[in-house]
Amino acid sequence: MKHLLLRLEPLIWLLFGQGILIGTIFLTGWLLVVGIALPLGWVGFEPGQALDYQRSYALSSTVIGRLILLALIALPMWKGAHHLRHLSIDHGGADRDAAVALSLYGLAALGSIAAIVAVVRL
Amino acid sequence: MSGAAHPDAMAPPQPGRTRTAPPRKPSSWPAHPRMRVYTLFGLTGVVYFAMGFVLLYVFWQLGKGDAAWMSVMASMTSPFFIAFHVLSLISVVFVGVRFFRLFPKSQPAKIGPAKPPPQPVILAMLYAVWIGLTGLFVAILAGGLF
Repeated sequence: MKHLLLRLEPLIWLLFGQGILIGTIFLTGWLLVVGIALPLGWVGFEPGQALDYQRSYALSSTVIGRLILLALIALPMWKGAHHLRHLSIDHGGADRDAAVALSLYGLAALGSIAAIVAVVRL
Repeated sequence: MSGAAHPDAMAPPQPGRTRTAPPRKPSSWPAHPRMRVYTLFGLTGVVYFAMGFVLLYVFWQLGKGDAAWMSVMASMTSPFFIAFHVLSLISVVFVGVRFFRLFPKSQPAKIGPAKPPPQPVILAMLYAVWIGLTGLFVAILAGGLF
């Protein structure tokens, strides 16, 4: 397991770095609109409004829209998995690292596969 | 490029006798201010992880059709999701500010013959990209563009 984790280390660090960079950049906009403006009633999801089904589907189902969605969904999971693994090492030691890493990266990998399915079926 | 090192490459061939006690973390270590901020930075991983799965659920519902999308958007106005999104926004801004402050310091002194721009310039560029792309994303989502 240690060997496999070392082999995957560059890929995991890449996904983690992009999770921070791209995830943070895209999530800020999403959270401002859906997390803040929507509950305040500044944007709506009824037909004819900014977040209605027709417009949301049209924006999300373009090639660029799907790629952005995939990044928005999958990359934060890898940022989360890698950060939590290192937090576990720092606070709990490396004894359980293989099991922790397998669980967290496994969950992020499953989530990423589900994200690919979600954007392909749009 | 060389292959990955053996994980135990630096370990002695056999455990030797030592007169010193094994290393221990000082008990005050987790409470140190720098460590507390570092731990908070790491704990944002929980929020990012959860955010990824919430977004997966939202766009899975988009694929299911009009009624499912309306239902998931309506749920975004519930107190639970408002609290979660506020916590997420605080986490995202904290991660962005901390990471972007660190990024210029991690650049090499030279890339080939070229020197990277001064650190304040790199930092300003990162903030400009963050604010600019966020503005563009908000304008698109809120119906101002397209």
